[in-house]
Amino acid sequence: MKKNSSLSVLTNGILKENPVLVLILGTCPTLATTTNVFGAFGMGIAAMLVLICSNCLISLLRKVIPDSVRIPCYIVIIAGFVTVVQMLVQAFFPELYKMLGVYLALIVVNCIILGRAEMFASKNNVGKSALDGLGMGIGFTLALCVIATIREVLGAASFAGIAIPFLENYKIEFLVKAPGGMVVYGLVIALVYMITSGKAPKKKDFSCAGCPNASTCSSAECAKKNEEKEEI
Amino acid sequence: MKKQIKSIVILVCICLAVTALMAVTNQFTAPIIKENQAAAENAALLEVMPDGESFEKVDLSAYTLPATVSEAYKAKNGGYVVKLTTTGYSTGFVILCGVNADGTVSGVVCLESTETLGHEKTFGQNFVGKNADEADKVDTISGATKTTGAYKSAVKDALNTAIILGGGSVDIRTDEEILQDNLSAALPSAEGKFKKHFFVEVVEGVDAIYEAENKTGFVCVIGEQFIGADATGKAVTECDEASAAKVSAAIDKIGKTTVTDIDLSKYAELPSQLISAKKTATENYIIEIKGAGYGIQGGDEYHPASNEYIVIRVSMTKDGKIIDCLTVSQAETKGIGSVCAEESFYGQFDGKTEQNYLDIDAISGATMTTNGYTKAIERAFKTVKILEGGSN
Repeated sequence: MKKNSSLSVLTNGILKENPVLVLILGTCPTLATTTNVFGAFGMGIAAMLVLICSNCLISLLRKVIPDSVRIPCYIVIIAGFVTVVQMLVQAFFPELYKMLGVYLALIVVNCIILGRAEMFASKNNVGKSALDGLGMGIGFTLALCVIATIREVLGAASFAGIAIPFLENYKIEFLVKAPGGMVVYGLVIALVYMITSGKAPKKKDFSCAGCPNASTCSSAECAKKNEEKEEI
Repeated sequence: MKKQIKSIVILVCICLAVTALMAVTNQFTAPIIKENQAAAENAALLEVMPDGESFEKVDLSAYTLPATVSEAYKAKNGGYVVKLTTTGYSTGFVILCGVNADGTVSGVVCLESTETLGHEKTFGQNFVGKNADEADKVDTISGATKTTGAYKSAVKDALNTAIILGGGSVDIRTDEEILQDNLSAALPSAEGKFKKHFFVEVVEGVDAIYEAENKTGFVCVIGEQFIGADATGKAVTECDEASAAKVSAAIDKIGKTTVTDIDLSKYAELPSQLISAKKTATENYIIEIKGAGYGIQGGDEYHPASNEYIVIRVSMTKDGKIIDCLTVSQAETKGIGSVCAEESFYGQFDGKTEQNYLDIDAISGATMTTNGYTKAIERAFKTVKILEGGSN
C-alpha cells in the first residue's frame, strides 16, 4: 500500500493506528461511555462528526493560522463544532443527550480531536484530512462499541438496553464499574496488539522517539528535529 | 510586531466566525429543545390526568393552601394536578395528584420518596375515582401507617386544593388549629394559652373545660359550643340560660374540689405498678399507675425499646366508673405507639367501667402499647376496689 494514499489514510485509524487502542487517546470518554452500547455508539458518532468537521476546517485554514496561536485557534474551532453537535443532539436525540450527559461537552478536550488536528489536518489537504477524520472516527466508534459490548453483555446482562434474560444470573457487575472498565480496556489493547503484531508501529522506544506525537511535539528533544518545519 | 498583529487578527476572525455558526445553529435548535423539555414535564402530568391534554401552571401566591402543596397545574379539561411534598416515615415524599372537575381523583403517583417498605408505589391506586368522602374512608395499611397516612393526607389536601383553586372554600385548618381558634374566640383574654382540665369530679352537662393559663377564666365545651366564662364562672360568651347555668355549676364544682393523698402502706396486695392514689372529698379516686407497653416488652433492630413505662392518670368514682383519663408520660415508638399520648386515644376511656373498658379502638400497628395501656387501666380498677375495702 502506498504510504499516505487516500485508502491507507482511511484504514489507518481503524486498526493500525486506532486512536483508542493503539495511540491511547480519548481514554476518558472510553471508560465513561462504554457501560452501554447505545451510549458508546452515540458518543463515537458525535465525536466522529466533530472530528471530520474540525479536521476539514483546520486543514482549510492551515496556511492561514499562524503557528504561535494555533492551539487557541484549534480549540475555538473544535469547541464551536462540539457546541453545534451538542445542540443538535439535544434537539433531535434527547435520550442520547441525557445518557451522554457531560461527556458530550467534554469532546472538546478529547485528545483525539486536538491530536489529529495537530498531527494530520495542519499538514495535509482537506480531502485527506476529511478521510483521516472519518477513519479515526470509525476506529474510535468501533473500539468503543467493542469495549461496551463486553462490559454491557457480561456486566449488566443486556445489549444497548435490551435485557438478555439467560445471562441475568451470571453477570459480573464489576465490569460496569470504573475498575472493570480499565481491566477490559487493557485486555482489548493487548488483543489488538496481538492481532496487529508486526504491522503496528513497534514501540521499542519509550522515550520521545516512540511517542505518536513525535513529529509535532514542541518539547526540547523533539523541537530540534522540528525546527525546520516552523512556518511564519 | 506585524507577526503578532496578524496572529491576533486571525484568531479574532476565527472566533467571530465560529460564534456565528453556533448562533445560527441555536436559532434552529433552541425551540425544539424547549418543546422537548415541556413535553417531558407534560408527560408526568398526563400520567395522572390522561384526559388533561395540556396544562398551565397556576400562580399559588393568591391562595391559602394546605402546607403540603408545592405546585399546581390547571388542565384543559377543567381539572387540576397538584404536586405535594409531605413526610411519611421520612421526608422528601413527593406526590402528584390529579383531581377532575367533578372533584374525583383522576390519578395519583408518588414522584419521589425514601420510604422503607414500598407501599407508596401502589397505595395511590386506592384513591382513583374517589371523591373527598370516599377517599377519607380508604384504610391506611397497618405496619406502614406513617407512609400510607401521609399519602392519604396528601390526597385529601389535593382534593381541597382543587376546590380552593376552583373558587370554592374549604376549611384546611388542622383539628388542633380549629380547637385553638374556638377557644380563643370564646375567651380572648386568655391570649391563646389554655390548659385542659383533668376532671376528678363528675360534672354534668359539660363535655370539657379548658382553663386559661393566666387565670382570667375558663372555656366550657358543651357539644359543639365553646362558652367562655370569667374566673367566677359567669359566662362571657353569648349563650342560652340553660348553658350558662351548666357552665356556672361546672366551674363552681371544680373550684370546690379538695384532694387528699392516700397512705398506700395501709393496704395489702396493691398492684406493684401503682405510683400514687388520691381521694377527693366527694369520694372519687385519682390513680397514677404504670403500664408496660412496647417500651418494656418490645424492641427490635428498627424500633428499640425505650425501657420506660407508660404512666397514666385515671380519675374514677368509688363505683368503678372512669371520670377522666390522661397519659402523663410515655416513651413508645414515635409515630406508632406514641399515639397513646393523644386525646383521641385516651379520651376513649372516659365513662368506662370494668365491664366495657376494652370496648375501644386499639392503636393501629401498636398492639403492645394498647395492651400495656389497657392493663394499666385494669389495674386502676383493681386498685380502687382494694382501696374501697373490697377484695382483689
